[in-house]
Amino acid sequence: MNILEVQNLKKYFATQKAVDDISLQIKQGSIFGLLGPNGAGKTTLIRMITGIFYPDSGNILLKGKPFDPENDARYIGYMPEERGLYKKMKIGEQALYLAQLKGLSRHDAMHKIKEWFKRLEMDSWWNKKVEDLSKGMGQKLQFVITVLHEPDLIILDEPFSGLDPVNANLIKDEIYRLAQKGTTIIFSTHRMEQVEEICKHIILVNKGKKILDGTVEDIKHDFKENLFGIQLETIPENIDGSSFELIHTSNKELIVRIRDGYKPNDVLSYFISRGSGVVSFKELLPSLNDIFIKLVEGTPSARQFEKITA
Amino acid sequence: MNKTILIIKREFLTRVRKRTFIIGTILFPLLYLALIFGTGYIADKSRESLSVAVIDKSGYFTEALLEKTNQGDTLNKLTLVKLPEVIFKDIYDSLGYNGYVVIPGNTNWKEGLDSLAFNTNKTYGIGATSPIERKLNRLWDEIKNDSLGIDSSKKQILATSDISLKVLNIKNRAADSQSATVIGYVCGFLMYLILLLYGSQVMMGVTEEKTSRIAEVVVSSVKPFQLMLGKIIGIGMVALTQFLIWIACIFLIYNVGKFSGNNGGAMADAVGSVQKVFTSVNILVVVSCFIFYMLAGFFFYSSLYAAIGSAINEDMREAQSLSFPITMLVIFSIALMTPAISNPSSPIAVWTSIIPFSSPIVMMARIPFGVPNTVPLWQLGLSMAFLVAGFMFTTWFAARIYRTGILMYGKKPSWKEMMKWAFRK
Repeated sequence: MNILEVQNLKKYFATQKAVDDISLQIKQGSIFGLLGPNGAGKTTLIRMITGIFYPDSGNILLKGKPFDPENDARYIGYMPEERGLYKKMKIGEQALYLAQLKGLSRHDAMHKIKEWFKRLEMDSWWNKKVEDLSKGMGQKLQFVITVLHEPDLIILDEPFSGLDPVNANLIKDEIYRLAQKGTTIIFSTHRMEQVEEICKHIILVNKGKKILDGTVEDIKHDFKENLFGIQLETIPENIDGSSFELIHTSNKELIVRIRDGYKPNDVLSYFISRGSGVVSFKELLPSLNDIFIKLVEGTPSARQFEKITA
Repeated sequence: MNKTILIIKREFLTRVRKRTFIIGTILFPLLYLALIFGTGYIADKSRESLSVAVIDKSGYFTEALLEKTNQGDTLNKLTLVKLPEVIFKDIYDSLGYNGYVVIPGNTNWKEGLDSLAFNTNKTYGIGATSPIERKLNRLWDEIKNDSLGIDSSKKQILATSDISLKVLNIKNRAADSQSATVIGYVCGFLMYLILLLYGSQVMMGVTEEKTSRIAEVVVSSVKPFQLMLGKIIGIGMVALTQFLIWIACIFLIYNVGKFSGNNGGAMADAVGSVQKVFTSVNILVVVSCFIFYMLAGFFFYSSLYAAIGSAINEDMREAQSLSFPITMLVIFSIALMTPAISNPSSPIAVWTSIIPFSSPIVMMARIPFGVPNTVPLWQLGLSMAFLVAGFMFTTWFAARIYRTGILMYGKKPSWKEMMKWAFRK
């Protein structure tokens, strides 16, 4: 079942088509990556999904029903890229207030805050003020506040920025735990290695348009260049096979591209026939980072302002 | 709606619990009273008692006359000295005098004494010398009366035959223009302070939410309008609470003062004057109108301040330059107040008390002069209706700027751009 369905969403600002006809579906319980360079329209897209902006056109369906920002706020948890908390307010009261704004009763909110604070070892923070916290601690608090009301859909915009590896792992584990319980997570970032690690499904947006949509595996396969790495006991001289093209040689390893119409077996039999002992043979898939750069490259690194007539 | 109440509660409680609110509310009037009574007390205590020698070459000033005036006014002492000036000017200090005056020998009671020199080795302020001046004048009057053959019964007649002109509103005998003027000024200035102070609190609160990026978190749970309205109402409640505490304090002090008896001193004077004010002005009308104009005027201005708060970034100078036109409206209103008080029925007073931006201050300055005589009911009604319509418009207008501004970072927008935000589809 799709928890979120976005259909032909558009949002134009005075000088930019921030989101230009984007559609996507997100399955319940999945960890979904929303990728794109700076200024691609990620934040605008998220702001429409969280009800902060109204779209110019298009539909948002939450749990199969049209999204109603006022009543559906409690199903969504949003952690914006720029963290925001009242600096002078006590942490406990602040968590309580924000949870109540999401629609939790005071009693429920209190109960859940206590639970979360205990699990993440934040017990002693209750009467402290946000200004007393370090950046990483603030991040942790922001995360707790985002997930406190047990939303069905959690949107995290760059959740790990500013966190040390220990706390980043802590948050990562919480994300996995929530996903296992059936919570859907949208993970917006431009840090590809995190996406590869965490997300099953991604979309890539650039200049307000969706340019890629699929599972990480499928996308990698779609962008593979038939590259294989071969490790040999001895490298024969004058390598010249009709089935492949040599890309790179380093002392005991070769990187080859298999020509169209040939199979990996053809490469292997070539080397076996030359008498080289094959130690390993594996397909080289492009990293998401390579794909990202390849797709986004060539477009200007910063979005240009344009006149919109719509 | 429930969420708006949550926001109001937070805005109200975080402010009311702040130390500055407690100090502002409780200590401010106390300090203010202490200041008034304290300065009075200090002025009373610090008044210098001078001993002044009079060297009379004219023969008009007699021991008996001086004795009589010294008995009537004990603050300063005048003493007739027979020594010649040349000797006396070197020794007056050691004899215990603060200074001396010389009455010239050619003095004639018909021509009068124009100016006398108070010879002293210090420069005294006017506060110290004017009682001596008054005393000398009283002496001089005495001398002239004697010379003219005016006895004490004739003097009585002369003294009581002054005319003083008082305004008596024959339709409303309770309205006393002097108390009304005082109350009018107090109301106008209080309104001015509340509008500016609490208006800028709204502005800074909104800017704080924007720059700390909490707005984005909150706006994903509530509508921007709810957030803005919650803040405005919350802070309005703080203003109202503060005002009600002050009113309660005034009544408390007044009653305590009244029942503690008129045992003299400044307290009795204060109670007396407050009592006079209470009986001459319909205090219930004034207070209830004040609460109405305070809240409505606050909504009118604070929503504009909220719009500006949403448009600016960290830089407080941006706030100043953008809020300047709004602040000018408030200052302009206070400038209109003075002519309105000196002539509460003039066309300018009437119309500026009906136009929404100036009505909270100008109307509050006029109301103490009497409803419905000086301020007819139709004017009050029209003014209130316009102000309500006015704040509904400014709130609508501000909300449209606010919802764009609160999530917009970077360059400070101009008023023109803000207008565009407000009036686009």
